[in-house]
Amino acid sequence: MLVIHLNVTFRGEGMQNKTTFIVAGLLIVAAVIYLIISSTGSTAQYFVTVAELQALGDEALNRNITVSGAVLGDTIVYDAMGPHVTFTIVQVPADPKEVERLGGLAQVLHDAVQNPTGPRLEVIYDSVKPDLLQNEAQAIVRGKMGADGRFYADELLLKCPSRYEEDVPAQAGD
Amino acid sequence: MVGNIGTLLTGLALAVALYAAYAAWRGIHLPAAQGRDWLQSAQRATNALAALLGAALLMLLLAFLTNHFEISYVAQHSSTVIPIYLKISAVWAGQEGSLLLWCFLQALFAALATGRASEHARPLVPWATFFLALVTAFFVAVTLFLSSPFTLLAQVPLEGRGLNPLLRHPGMIFHPPALYVGYVGLAIPFAFALAALVTRQIKEWTTAIRTWTLIAWLGLGLGLLLGMRWAYDVLGWGGYWGWDPVENAGLLPWLTATALLHGAVMQEEKRGFHVWNMFLVIFSFALVLFGTFATRSGMIQSVHAYTASNLGGYFLTAIAVTLVGSLGLLYARRAALKTASAHMESLLSRDGMFFVTLVLFLMLTVSVLIGSLLPTLTEALSGQRFEAGPEWFDRVTGPQFAALVFVIGLCPLLGRAAATLKRLQQVRWIVIGGAVAVTVGAALAGFTDALSLIGFALIGFAATTTLAEFVEGVSTRRKRTGEAPLNALWRLLRLQRRKYGGYLVHFGVILMALGIIGTRMYPFETQTTVSAGQSTAVGKYTLLFEELKRDFVDDYTTTWATVSIYRNGVYLTALQPRLNTYTGTDQTVTVPALQPGLREDLYLILSGWSDDGAAVTFKVVINALVNFLWLGGLIFLAGGALALWPQMEHKTWNTVALVVGLALLVGAGWAMWGIPHGAVDYGSGRPLIGQAAPDFRLSTLDGQAISLASLRGQVAVVNFWASWCPSCVDEMPDLQSVWTAYQGKGVTFLGVAYRDEEAAVRSALAQYGTTYPVGLDTGDRIAKQYGITGTPETFVIAPDGRVVYIHIGPLTGEALAAQLDAVLK
Repeated sequence: MLVIHLNVTFRGEGMQNKTTFIVAGLLIVAAVIYLIISSTGSTAQYFVTVAELQALGDEALNRNITVSGAVLGDTIVYDAMGPHVTFTIVQVPADPKEVERLGGLAQVLHDAVQNPTGPRLEVIYDSVKPDLLQNEAQAIVRGKMGADGRFYADELLLKCPSRYEEDVPAQAGD
Repeated sequence: MVGNIGTLLTGLALAVALYAAYAAWRGIHLPAAQGRDWLQSAQRATNALAALLGAALLMLLLAFLTNHFEISYVAQHSSTVIPIYLKISAVWAGQEGSLLLWCFLQALFAALATGRASEHARPLVPWATFFLALVTAFFVAVTLFLSSPFTLLAQVPLEGRGLNPLLRHPGMIFHPPALYVGYVGLAIPFAFALAALVTRQIKEWTTAIRTWTLIAWLGLGLGLLLGMRWAYDVLGWGGYWGWDPVENAGLLPWLTATALLHGAVMQEEKRGFHVWNMFLVIFSFALVLFGTFATRSGMIQSVHAYTASNLGGYFLTAIAVTLVGSLGLLYARRAALKTASAHMESLLSRDGMFFVTLVLFLMLTVSVLIGSLLPTLTEALSGQRFEAGPEWFDRVTGPQFAALVFVIGLCPLLGRAAATLKRLQQVRWIVIGGAVAVTVGAALAGFTDALSLIGFALIGFAATTTLAEFVEGVSTRRKRTGEAPLNALWRLLRLQRRKYGGYLVHFGVILMALGIIGTRMYPFETQTTVSAGQSTAVGKYTLLFEELKRDFVDDYTTTWATVSIYRNGVYLTALQPRLNTYTGTDQTVTVPALQPGLREDLYLILSGWSDDGAAVTFKVVINALVNFLWLGGLIFLAGGALALWPQMEHKTWNTVALVVGLALLVGAGWAMWGIPHGAVDYGSGRPLIGQAAPDFRLSTLDGQAISLASLRGQVAVVNFWASWCPSCVDEMPDLQSVWTAYQGKGVTFLGVAYRDEEAAVRSALAQYGTTYPVGLDTGDRIAKQYGITGTPETFVIAPDGRVVYIHIGPLTGEALAAQLDAVLK
């Protein structure tokens, strides 16, 4: 779209200047495309569900991975002096259409926590317990899979889908 | 009742919006004589629309103020106990209310933009009215049918759920409305651009609505800055920007709006860019819709919570209609646009650099958009979902922002190509000097990473050329008029508001770049656990944990730790980070404490504590150069306001507006640096272990005067106590027995009675058989020197006069004896 656009803008101009502008524009575009591709290769992370992570098996070891799932409230253990949190997350589907079909994210999270057979993953997070870590919250965890089958998180994002709040991580009251 | 009226008003608004569109359509297509009546009617309908939606919003406000909990939205976001200012901000705290506010602002802007259109804009008004009525109708319909704030509950609760504690911040009153001003403001240039395309009056639409573009752009900027500051003050994770999709949703239209402002300047100077501006205005509006869609559809993973609501599909359709319709119209009018193009000069000219600027902004927009959609995109392409974290965004956008800073630096030098090169030659030493000064300054302050030094050099370059533009303007003016420097600057700013407003914005952005480099390239974060009275070193800071306290306030429990802060061993202040736990919901809110500084902010978060409160865990974040970000933000806003400043006839109004504007800026500055943010200054701190103990003279009750200096060569035990303090008198027998045992071994005890009376002290001494020297600390003289915050506290001072042991709270005889044994060895 950009190339067409440039052609439109500069049609009928002195050939040389037009070429200079197009080359300069294309160089910037190429540089940005390079940045995007190289950064995607080096810093983008696998984004998987609990079941997908388990399907990866050994391939998942020592890679940066983001995994999402529903938090099991009963499993949260917090040692404030560590600080150190462990909790378990249960499989929820990642596909928004699938989530929609199953009755929305709140329903999906609720069902996941009730389901005794859903794939589970134990998460270790050596940091302060976030304000929003609670039952049926959706956890998005970034970190690495350990050889012991537990997930070692560097970063933990949480959201409670129960209610939209403008610019706020969640309303916990529901 | 209030709810029904609200629904009725919203329903009427929808009908009126549709009527306004119909009337405008009729007015456009009928012959002028009959058409005029229809157009007038459309205008009146647009005004009525704003009035109706304003009334609906007032109804909602009334419902909040009078606790109408039969309205579901009110019950969910308010309660009888929250203060009035929070009830006001609760009106737009959730999706439904914020949509109603959105509708009202949209209608208000539409009425103002079409009703008070300038000479240039008048021919575009009929079509603009038509498009704006349709846009407003869409939002009103969404509000009315899908997300109404007036939905009633079958059972009326006695009490509302209250406002989310995280939203209980004054900044939250202004953050959403400011963003919405930006969002709805962008609909105005969009509607006028479409009107220009339809009527083929392509040359002048940017001039016609430039004020509206500026208002929208400034609103978005203000909203983003407020959101950043709110995150920094309230969310307690130490940062201000996480590249979260919802944040990106606000940033994306701001990027295209910024590009549009630059493109509009070119178009006004008759230098082409017509196609650019059309694309930019269409994308800006599409991105507004996309932002709304992204944050409400559940399609994009975000830390911001929202119901994966059913609104997504409608917004997706709206985006598709917008893009297909307006790009189709653009294509149909390609002939008119082509002839409108002007000729282009060399790349190093003003035209050339504006072109580069627009390409950079467009690519930044594309980058952020791709990053936000990366999981969806990669899944479609490769079947595997990849996600872009902050690192991805920093890497991709960092070089582009750096390039923009470079272009900002070139900006004041730009003329025609040859002139640019000549000017560059003229000022090369000043420019190099500026770049070197900032780089060396940064390196001396400890910022030595090679990549960041390039950034500092760019910043130095851009800051120099931008400031030089002000200096040159002032000196030229002084030569001509002989005014005093400040007077000349004042006149310059007043007479060339857009030019110097623009440079002021550039300067603000340069300062913000400094803050961004500092915080993103020199992040520091650590966790540490400390017991009471103990200190821990974090970089050049020493943190001494004093005590942990708890209190019950309204509907939450607040727990706070007092921590004395020393920098390079010198007492700085005391910080009190907090953790609030809300009863009932168990939601916790961390309230960070902050010691701001020019080089860095020390940012302290209370993470946890042991059950007995004797030890706490802190998260310590050091945010380098972050205050340049906030300062730059204020300058950015001031520059934007200056550029927007209307030419007002009335001198009084000008003055009033100026005073209000300055008061707002000063208020914002005060809110950031004037409020203590969890800092409590006790005047002085305790001497740290290893530091020299402050000298004092104590007049003891038996008539002696002992100075600490005279005790050199001996071990001194200084005990601060009070006869009215139970734990102090509890430890007195222990102290007495240690005194008896160590008296002959070169140890002296000094009892300092804190805020006490002689008679009470004497009777306490008699009661406990204390024989070591005790005196009164008149006027807290000694307590202040030692940074005492309570009693008892005990200091052990070595023969060389240095503090070797500090104990806060009651001390046992064994512990003291062990310390004395260690010193005496």
